[in-house]
Amino acid sequence: MKRFFAVALGILTAIGGFVDIGDIVANAETGARFGMSLAWVVVVGVIGICLFAEMAGRVATVSKRATFDLVRERLGARVALVNLAASFFITFLTLAAEIGGVALAIELATSVNYLLWVPIVAFLVWLVLWRVKFSLMENAFGLAGLALVVAAVALWRLGPDWGGLLHGATHPAVPEGEGHPTWWFFAIALLGAAMTPYEVFFFSSGAVEEGWSRADLITNRLNVYIGFPLGGLLSLALMAGATLFLEPRGIQPGHLSQVALPTVLVLGKLGLAVLLVGFFAATFGAALETGLSCGYSIAQYFGFQWGKFVRPADAPRFHLILLVSIAAGAGLVLTTLDPITITEYSIVLSAAALPLTYFPILVVANDPDYMGDKVNSRFTNALGSVYLLLLMVVAAATIPLMILTKAGS
Amino acid sequence: MRRSWVAVLLLVGACTGPVRSSEVYESKAGQTAETAASAVQTALLAVDAAKGSKAFGRYLTQVLVQAEEDADAARGTFAAIQPPDQRADELRGRLDDLLTQATGTLAELRIAARRGRLADLPELAEPLPEVAEELDDFAEAHG
Repeated sequence: MKRFFAVALGILTAIGGFVDIGDIVANAETGARFGMSLAWVVVVGVIGICLFAEMAGRVATVSKRATFDLVRERLGARVALVNLAASFFITFLTLAAEIGGVALAIELATSVNYLLWVPIVAFLVWLVLWRVKFSLMENAFGLAGLALVVAAVALWRLGPDWGGLLHGATHPAVPEGEGHPTWWFFAIALLGAAMTPYEVFFFSSGAVEEGWSRADLITNRLNVYIGFPLGGLLSLALMAGATLFLEPRGIQPGHLSQVALPTVLVLGKLGLAVLLVGFFAATFGAALETGLSCGYSIAQYFGFQWGKFVRPADAPRFHLILLVSIAAGAGLVLTTLDPITITEYSIVLSAAALPLTYFPILVVANDPDYMGDKVNSRFTNALGSVYLLLLMVVAAATIPLMILTKAGS
Repeated sequence: MRRSWVAVLLLVGACTGPVRSSEVYESKAGQTAETAASAVQTALLAVDAAKGSKAFGRYLTQVLVQAEEDADAARGTFAAIQPPDQRADELRGRLDDLLTQATGTLAELRIAARRGRLADLPELAEPLPEVAEELDDFAEAHG
């Protein structure tokens, strides 16, 4: 029974933890501009993140070592350094975006300018990372992030033309007046949001933090294969809400407040209150995950003691990296760069760096020296290889498309 | 030497100079109208929410503040572009009239919301549907 609850809790946490500021912004912007025509990208992204997160979780569980630890050993210091530089830069940008996202969520509830909240949010993120136990932190914010289900409830209460939405999703076409390059650029942004690298660093390092053993491999699979797809449904609910309310009116959402409008108009004040809790929890939880991922990536590469499973005094350099990353992330937002713009760039650049993150995981997951009998199956390898090809095409196309479409404007 | 080139590039990048042709100017006018129409439509949804008491005052204030900022920013950016010829002057004048109406009404909505007069929002927003339609038509004709 205890085991059942642990698995259920893990799945719920995975659902609530799946959506972050990148998913919220990317799905709302895409729905408002292209309807459901890019819903297929969310499906592709969810399958991809399931595939590689399961791999990373399995690697960590079997080898008892996290991603960067093995990447450096397996691929050498130079290749791993390229991997580290790209991944850290994207994760840091995402951390800044999440801190900004939390501040924006609080601004919506208080009407006090988000910039005033940024230092407070940064301090709270640091405090939670310093003081709160890993499992409590992960479960509390993952579960609170489930409040975003309210967006799906609003959709259901509205009773839309489900057939029309499904038709839009299953018959992808570039809407009239939009160009193919812009459509593909948004597709890349959605993929970057769904497969953002920090998710696998956090997932694999979390497995080590929680001391997973081979008996937990089933938990790993259930969390990933059930939790992430259900989290993907939340993303699609946000996209559908924007498709129904914002697209027909030509609204181009550039603020979190606009993303909330569909839920507000259907469910009223209660819906708004729950959604704001969801925005706060999703972005705060992701700020914790990205903050930790900044520390994990550098500490694991350089071989510093890392993790929350040891006392902060035993991992001083890891905690120093956390502190500096959070302070610098908050500093970036305090320059008055729009957090939504930071988010947009973080997810697009994330897409450009995806092969650098996922290739080493595929290599390590196939190495019998680390994995023993738990190496990838043929099917996993075939699918992983197809995804790597796809990610390389995406990476090559990202920057040219960004220039050609003026970042989708 | 390299520093001076960087400085020149930065200066050139920061300038909002004249556009090459009236077609480009027209396209920018269309984009500006589209952005302003988006802000106006956002405000209209917020007013709908206020009408049904569906949202807290602080949230509605925030939506309206941001809608006004978006419309103002679009107007400011467009105003800084040098019109290339007389035809562009006419286009500029027509769009400016629409933007003045839009930003003026959005400012009134923001002021009322900040003062907690949410019940007044529907009446204050009465000109907006027409402005939104005209902005949409303008964007479609010149986009």
